[in-house]
Amino acid sequence: MAGLWSAISAALPVTEAEFPLDFSEKVEPSILEVLKRCRQQLYTRTCQWMQDAQVILDFSWEKLNTGTWRDVDKEWRCVYSYGCLFKVAALCREDASPVTLQEAIRTCDMGLLMGASIIDNILQRIVRILQDVIRKWPYKEDPSEGVSAKKMKSDDSAPAPIVNQALVVPRVNCPSLERFKTEYLDPQMPVILEGVIDHWPAFSNHPWSLEYLQTIAGCRTVPVEVGSRYTDENWSQTLLTVNEFIDRYILGKNTTGLGYLAQHQLFDQIPELRDDIRIPDYCCLGEGDEEDITINAWFGPGGTVSPLHHDPQQNFLAQVVGRKYIRLYSPENNEKLYAHQSQLLHNTSQVEVESPDEVRFPEFVKAPYLECVLQPGEILFIPVKHWHYVRSLELSFSVSFWWS
Amino acid sequence: MNWFGFGFNGFGQIRANEKSYDGESTRDIKLTSPISLVVCRNLKSSEICQHVTRIRTSWSRIAALHSTSNRRLCLAGFGVEHPSRGCGGCVEESKECQDAQISEEYLALSFTDRVEIQSLRNQNKQEWTMETDNTAGLEFPLVPGGYIASKPPFFRPLSPQLVAVTLALGTEHAVLLSASGNVYTWGSGSHGQLGHGDLSPQNEPRAVEALMGMQMSSVAAGGWHSACTSAGRDLYVWGWNESGQVGLPSRALRTGQQDTQPAGSASTSRDQEESGDDVFISIQAFPALVDVTESCEVSKISCGSRHTAAVTSKGDLFTWGWGEYGQLGQGTLSSSDEPKPVEFFKDNGLCVVDVVCGPWNTYVCAIIKEPSSC
Repeated sequence: MAGLWSAISAALPVTEAEFPLDFSEKVEPSILEVLKRCRQQLYTRTCQWMQDAQVILDFSWEKLNTGTWRDVDKEWRCVYSYGCLFKVAALCREDASPVTLQEAIRTCDMGLLMGASIIDNILQRIVRILQDVIRKWPYKEDPSEGVSAKKMKSDDSAPAPIVNQALVVPRVNCPSLERFKTEYLDPQMPVILEGVIDHWPAFSNHPWSLEYLQTIAGCRTVPVEVGSRYTDENWSQTLLTVNEFIDRYILGKNTTGLGYLAQHQLFDQIPELRDDIRIPDYCCLGEGDEEDITINAWFGPGGTVSPLHHDPQQNFLAQVVGRKYIRLYSPENNEKLYAHQSQLLHNTSQVEVESPDEVRFPEFVKAPYLECVLQPGEILFIPVKHWHYVRSLELSFSVSFWWS
Repeated sequence: MNWFGFGFNGFGQIRANEKSYDGESTRDIKLTSPISLVVCRNLKSSEICQHVTRIRTSWSRIAALHSTSNRRLCLAGFGVEHPSRGCGGCVEESKECQDAQISEEYLALSFTDRVEIQSLRNQNKQEWTMETDNTAGLEFPLVPGGYIASKPPFFRPLSPQLVAVTLALGTEHAVLLSASGNVYTWGSGSHGQLGHGDLSPQNEPRAVEALMGMQMSSVAAGGWHSACTSAGRDLYVWGWNESGQVGLPSRALRTGQQDTQPAGSASTSRDQEESGDDVFISIQAFPALVDVTESCEVSKISCGSRHTAAVTSKGDLFTWGWGEYGQLGQGTLSSSDEPKPVEFFKDNGLCVVDVVCGPWNTYVCAIIKEPSSC
């Protein structure tokens, strides 16, 4: 695969002098020397730089885990990305077996997930090259998984709770910006918007199916939450490829646990999927720029639960595949909802919404709420600070837009 | 006394990188077994490092304090040239130095009458100095009235009521032993490294309640974990167990070969974990009693960034935690979530008397074993 190395080389700056390594004083001379040594070896190709690439990764990984994530200096996220870049280059120089390619893609993803953009987002460009190569590979289909099993079907759907019509979230079809603002945004009223996202390519040109997601993103590494709900003791996060996630937690092979690809900015990581969705026009009523809107993917089997919690921004929850049962409480009911005491979970209620412990949480049942079953093609407007509880009724893919 | 080192040697801090004939330097950045430490080349080769009393470390360097040569300090590692004759790493004006502390940025030197801090970025230019009367012999980085931190502000006061005896500084936290044998911790608690049972930070020293009532005799602090030994020579460890550094079952180690292995082969081990009843500890937020050997008596303890090393009263060395740079000294690059002996010393008739972990490496002081001495 000489072709792969030349494609990677072509993505790199042409000469060593054009390969930037400019950091602030934060990045100490010792680690800078390793970075420079790596760069030199990359261009002179005299000896192997894999070990040094790993040193850079291990060193910056420790920096990324020092202090809270928010406060980690961007310089260290850049250094981490450089480590990923050097490692990918070293991997692709060695050979281009499927195993190596997969590891190179995973390394790019680690940089995209934890690092910062370097050299015109070179990791994004390289991962595209690698994906093109892997797609041309004669794909070995696992004989046990027939194509039919891969359709986004809702066989094992749980029965939807009977929604009390008196408490149902109102629905409105494609309201004008003005109407949405005066009737829902300004008074902070939840509403389901119909007819707003039907035109997304995710419904038309590229209907999202397991097959489609595996084609576009199968070999990409994503964070997955394992365990029923994030408040559980045995809940954890892990990194899996989309293919592994689908095999284990959607098609349910060899596993009993629940896995949820939740609250992940998948669309920044995989621009091809970003092209399948659109930011709702109503977001322009907010004060932030479009770049300030956080778009998250929520992809999982039936039965995933997001415990009752609230977020610091307005939220459009767009349902693309499957249905979700959602319950909403307005912020006036804060006292009746028994938020966790700890700093980490102060935005989350201790109550299990659908089977509340009425002895421990007597006020909870007195709190008024709204509820709904969100269908594919619908958007739920969750006003900022509104408490929400979400349970998927079947295989589900939702996209949330946080805006202010 | 002989000092040995193993683990990360990316800057030649354990063994200098030899220049070969074609000018290409051969670099051995991972040393998986103990080798004799070469810091100072002032002496004839047979006498090398016979008089090093203390080793202090940073990620890229070590500082060795000599009991002879007027108690001078020598550096090895990043930025230290090794001339063919003489010592390249001898620190000017370190004469009569009592102890030292080194980071990537600064070298702190403790004298009986002052503390000096030199900038390592800036040709060892003196950056800061403080006069202090340390004839009482407080253990550095403790100084009268407080301690010396690894970055500005260098002097940090401590309440005299604590009566501090030993202070260990982790990446973002501190562990203090008081004269009464109590352990106090403060700083970041994000990974349980403070031992108070939660993950919140502490601005002021707070007693580790779980250890109250037991007399403690030494403390150590690593990247995100902490350890202490009791007067009865029991070992307690707490904090992040990401690489098994606490010495309890680690999910990443038992199941997480997915990091290094192709996805297909990792799935079986993961699934076993989910179906089995194994309990993995990611964060140990209270001190846990760790048995190093069956009749565990620990005399010395030290923590690296993500590994831990203990010396038993029999003079054996045990290591556990992150091992990918060889810092466990067990001849492999594997991590371990249970204490394992470093056979090298026993095999060579050596009795281990001291251990100092660098972030990614380990330094060990050993003497020839005589039945009476260990």
